[in-house]
Amino acid sequence: MKPQEIRVVERLQPAPDCVELVTEFPDDELPAPGQFYMLSAGDGRDTYLPRPLSFYRTFSPRRLSFLFRVVGPGTQALAALRARDRLQAMGPLGQGFPLPEHPLRAVLVGGGVGVPPLWSLGRALQERGCQVTALIGARTRSGLLGQAELEALGMRVLTATDDGSRGHHGPVTDLLAGLDADAVFACGPEPMLGAVQSFAASRPVPDTYLALEAAMACGYGVCLGCAVERAKPDPELGPYGTYARVCREGPVFRWDEVKL
Amino acid sequence: MDLETEVAGLRFKNPVLTASGTFGYGREAAELYDLALLGGVMVKGVSREPWPGNAPTRIARAPGGMLNAIGLQNPGLDHFLAVDLPFLRQYDTQVIVNVVGHDEEGFLAVVRGVDGQEGVAAIELNISCPNVADGLLFSQDPERAGRLVAKVRQATSLPLIVKISPNVTDPVALGAACAAAGADALSAINTLLGMAIDVERRRPVIANTTGGLSGPAVKPVGLRIVYDLARSLSIPVIGMGGIESGRDALEYIMAGARAVAVGTAVFRDPLAPPRIIAELEREMENAGFTSVDEAWAAANPEARGVVS
Repeated sequence: MKPQEIRVVERLQPAPDCVELVTEFPDDELPAPGQFYMLSAGDGRDTYLPRPLSFYRTFSPRRLSFLFRVVGPGTQALAALRARDRLQAMGPLGQGFPLPEHPLRAVLVGGGVGVPPLWSLGRALQERGCQVTALIGARTRSGLLGQAELEALGMRVLTATDDGSRGHHGPVTDLLAGLDADAVFACGPEPMLGAVQSFAASRPVPDTYLALEAAMACGYGVCLGCAVERAKPDPELGPYGTYARVCREGPVFRWDEVKL
Repeated sequence: MDLETEVAGLRFKNPVLTASGTFGYGREAAELYDLALLGGVMVKGVSREPWPGNAPTRIARAPGGMLNAIGLQNPGLDHFLAVDLPFLRQYDTQVIVNVVGHDEEGFLAVVRGVDGQEGVAAIELNISCPNVADGLLFSQDPERAGRLVAKVRQATSLPLIVKISPNVTDPVALGAACAAAGADALSAINTLLGMAIDVERRRPVIANTTGGLSGPAVKPVGLRIVYDLARSLSIPVIGMGGIESGRDALEYIMAGARAVAVGTAVFRDPLAPPRIIAELEREMENAGFTSVDEAWAAANPEARGVVS
């Protein structure tokens, strides 16, 4: 991890309220799937804290993209960037997804803007000979992100929308029941991750991992802002071990390590 | 340029410290730069027993800053002495232990525990955390603060710094009571109590309801309190609150701080402390100062004793 200045190469708009920034890094320290960066643009007057974002696609060792929904001043400042603009990126941060040593049947579950970390993960799994299926969900058709990009990697993609405007009508996690999976990797809103937890608890798929999101100030472990409750606290730590840091011990946790 | 400064008998190689609660026990920052560059480190609050901290959500965004209600999550005194202090001891910098407690006995147990430990330069008594039950108890009443400080004073020979809350009517009265009870220095300011509302969820953003505001937004408040403490009291002040540049640091020094601490800035720029040290040197030069002593209270004649 290190703070660095990166450059916007291209700005894409895959959905009306979403922006993908393709950026160039000064060096080629490739992050692992599931890791993230703290990004900040502008002078910090409207929003002081940097924004945690998982990287999305990798185009070359120095070229990574970030995909986000524009929701507040922080993402507005990022969305205002254009090609050749510069921004600060601290990272790569956190623990990414553990990759299997042997080929297996993997299912990726992404909800809304939770899809980005699954692109590089899916590719890494394919490189290890895994058969990968991606399930992506959103409230409505226009919110489905990354379908074409995941399909371009050669994986099967199934979709679900809350309003039934495309794919399965209902939560994306409904689709899990119809699949044979040796491993499940999920990233998305908390209710979706909770449903993945319940699914993992209901059948023997121990290799289920969740990428969490949390309000975060620093991203590198000093502020203790991004606490998540541990399901099995380390007795050696006493009450101090009640919470883990999403930024440092996570953002990826095994499904049974955290209480959502 | 002479960046050395002295606070409560302690020599600092430069006046830039890291503020408690924004730096853990140094391990993360040590992955980025040599901690020996720092004038000093004010560690995350240490309590007698391990504390879990508050339930999430613990932070909220704010213009020019942030709100936090971490709730002093920390591994406790034993862990600090066994693991964290030995780590910090490797670095040639002044380690100041921030001490927290729910009650007098809690504070005193930590003070006794760190007293005499190699590598502990001073104690910062945190009687001003707004994010735990009773956190501000000792700040609300100068007399009560004075009683606690007097007991701590008897329990240790280490330099004793008391962290002052801005969430009181009269910070100077609070500082005066601490000074009279034996405090060697004051640090100011802690965060300002505030809150944020989540419109969609119809509730406060922070689970604790309220949190402490920090960042550049609070700098004017910090400067005012440091200025007032410096001109009213004879013990030195360590200034903090919204420092994110060498110029901010110099403003605090000119207001009357003998040293400064960088806090929230490290969230936006993890390299802020060493950057600020370098910037401060240039800013002092540009302003025509050759030493911290010379810049100290340059904008606060009463503190310098020039005006009676």
